[in-house]
Amino acid sequence: MPSLLSQVLQAVETADEPCTLAQLAHQFDLSPAMLEEMLTYWVRKGRLREVDSSPACASCGHGASCPFVAKMPRTYEVVRDDDPVCDTPPPVCRHCG
Amino acid sequence: MTTPQIVALAGNPNVGKSTLFNALTGARQHVGNWPGKTVEKVEGLITIGDRQYKVVDLPGTYSLNAYSSEEIIARDFIINEHPAAVVTVVDAANLERTLYLAVQIMELGVPAVLALNMADMAQRRGIRVNTALLAERLGGLPIVETIGSRGAGLNALRQAIYTQTNGTGRTLPQPVDYGQPLEAEIAALQAQIAADPILSRQFRPRWLATKLLENDEDLHARLEGAGYHPLIEAAHAAMERIAAQTGEDAETLITDRRYQMIAKWLRGAVQRPRSGVETRSDRADRVVTHPIWGVPIFLLLMWVIFQFTANVSAPLVDWIDATINGPFTRWAEALLNALSLAETWFGALVINGVIAGVGGVLVFIPVLFFLYLAVAVLEDSGYMARSAFVMDRVMRAIGLHGKSFLPLVVGFGCNVPAIYATRTLEDEDDRKLTAFITTFISCGARLPVYVVFGAAFFGAKAGNLIFGLYLLGIAIALLTGLALKRTVYRHKPPQPFVLELPPYRLPTPRNVWRQVWQRTAQFLRNATTIILAASIVIWFMLALPVRGEGRFNDVRTEDSLFGAVSRTIAPAFEPAGFASWETAGSLITGFVAKEAVISTMSQIYVQTADDAEVAGAEESQPAPRFADEAQELLRSLGEALVLTAQETVNIVPRTVNLLPGVHLGLADWLNRGEEAEETTALQDALIAAFTRTTGSAERGKLAAVAFNVFVLLYVPCMATVAAMRHEFGGRWVLYQSSYALLVAWLAATIVYQGGLLLGIG
Repeated sequence: MPSLLSQVLQAVETADEPCTLAQLAHQFDLSPAMLEEMLTYWVRKGRLREVDSSPACASCGHGASCPFVAKMPRTYEVVRDDDPVCDTPPPVCRHCG
Repeated sequence: MTTPQIVALAGNPNVGKSTLFNALTGARQHVGNWPGKTVEKVEGLITIGDRQYKVVDLPGTYSLNAYSSEEIIARDFIINEHPAAVVTVVDAANLERTLYLAVQIMELGVPAVLALNMADMAQRRGIRVNTALLAERLGGLPIVETIGSRGAGLNALRQAIYTQTNGTGRTLPQPVDYGQPLEAEIAALQAQIAADPILSRQFRPRWLATKLLENDEDLHARLEGAGYHPLIEAAHAAMERIAAQTGEDAETLITDRRYQMIAKWLRGAVQRPRSGVETRSDRADRVVTHPIWGVPIFLLLMWVIFQFTANVSAPLVDWIDATINGPFTRWAEALLNALSLAETWFGALVINGVIAGVGGVLVFIPVLFFLYLAVAVLEDSGYMARSAFVMDRVMRAIGLHGKSFLPLVVGFGCNVPAIYATRTLEDEDDRKLTAFITTFISCGARLPVYVVFGAAFFGAKAGNLIFGLYLLGIAIALLTGLALKRTVYRHKPPQPFVLELPPYRLPTPRNVWRQVWQRTAQFLRNATTIILAASIVIWFMLALPVRGEGRFNDVRTEDSLFGAVSRTIAPAFEPAGFASWETAGSLITGFVAKEAVISTMSQIYVQTADDAEVAGAEESQPAPRFADEAQELLRSLGEALVLTAQETVNIVPRTVNLLPGVHLGLADWLNRGEEAEETTALQDALIAAFTRTTGSAERGKLAAVAFNVFVLLYVPCMATVAAMRHEFGGRWVLYQSSYALLVAWLAATIVYQGGLLLGIG
């Protein structure tokens, strides 16, 4: 029987559709905070990637506080073997330098 | 007094560790740097009973795994300095996340104290920690609840420190049982380490054995450097045996065991509100994010938003329009007269350029205000994040990356940050594809165009037109994505992912107001910068004659430079039903900013009306008195506010009336009955112009819809184009813009010609 950590990773990797942290926590009878810790472990191990989906844009002079940027949920996604090796560029607009 | 004993204060960042340190040590602090590091080291002296202690505030860390310099500093300090006790500060409201560090510190075998800090926050959130039960599960480890910011629990903490630094009365932590085969390998390595006098003096053998199996790079490197090759080889061999037996690496198994231990300790010892019971948020999510009902609910909310935006703002739009085109323009003319500038080109620029152009856009402040209000309520309630989740399913169903909808949601506000939001997609093709379709998502700047045309041609049903246009934008985006995914960007299957959805909450007026104000202020800034500049340029182009008998500032609009330029492209729109030079010209300026479509139309139609006025030589009426006008303005504002409140109430029957067979009456507080909706000067001009161009009112309406479809889909504004060029290069932008132009033209033509074929008009 694989460890709970590995089961969590497997559940994310083999999911057919996006799931919420709460759904996954419920599936494993864990608290969302504990599940998040487990996901963070896989982020450190390079198997998952944590992405803050709220972009920042400087094109209108607001810098990181662009008023049109909606607060989007944080996501954890699977890192594939053929993903680019370079660091994910931060979602920050460099429109006006 | 003897040499002070050392007490280390460890903890995660943001658990109030430094606040607790300050409360504990007061002013007796010394600030320096950790040797060879730029990380700040803070120490303080305290006296408890007959003993003196040097309290050292360790850097905030999430673990002792040597992932960062802070973690290495904290770990080395505990190993090398042998503190008499380590106080681990954890967040009482978030024990699952903060206990991991405590477990690792306990494994170091030092006397420990657990401080459950921010206990007040935990209590406010309804979290109850049974400290006695938790302490029992942790082998009798002292646990103290503290509130660093108020100094609460400090005496108990001091007492626990005193007890734990007392050689006879202290409680040492129990080792974590890692089970087999880990325990056997740990024991073997532990024996090897214990046999070495230097190593066993420096490290606790069981801890070092565990860390070596965790493949701790820092320790492996240090031991390699010190010549402990056999120990390292033995550790590697043990790791290989564990992997062969379990199919997993030792680090994962060790970490997993620690998490399971934490979960076991906390089960029953921490009571959360509705713990283990389905929360209201969960119940709401079962409906709102349902695979079948999620999308219709999203569409219904969109419909309500656009009904709200169009109908509630209408009375205020009419009031601002009447104010700008009436009293405000007359006051400006009077001022220009007093300065002897009324008959000069400057006077014409102010009245026909600045006031008509900028004023034409400012009229729509209420529309944007109410749109941003509705969106802010949805965002602050936590629904917006869920809409992305719901639409993810739709995106994936047609083969697009699920996360593509996140930038699209941002695009409803403004396409520029949406382009940058595509950076959250790892795959380059997914990024390009998402950016390609983002421009079809209708941004807030396009809304004034729909509102003007909607109110002019559809009256109270303007909300339906706006809703339809937004839906069309989404549909074209999805269809384009589907086509490109099957052809140009044929690539990897979508990646699965986990979303962290925030809990639902009642929107706070402060948050909602901040968002509404920031966004509306940005619209105002655009109106007074980009739109102002565009209005001045357009006025000069309208004032410059290129044919006919006219002179500068005395030319028929169709003979002006702007008229000539617009006339050259106007025939291209013949199949779509809006081939006049006025509409063509406004589409050109729409490239600068979408709101400029309206400001340009205001300028053109105001100027044209002036031309007609001059030709007709209408008798001018005496200007009303300032006091009368001010009084009338206040009266009409009051009336507009009453109507705004009335339309807010009417959202409920309008929505319920969507159900078949239901017809609730609408509120009519001013007893206006079913009288025709008021139209602005620009709307009257548009109805007349489209009717004249197409030959009938019905055809004019059809052409108006086609025009709005074109505005929705054609080349995005120049700021978006610049963002796309910055991200994907000039050639890609050329393809995207050409495609958008083509799709816009085709869609507008299909709407107009299709309508004619169906017998409309």
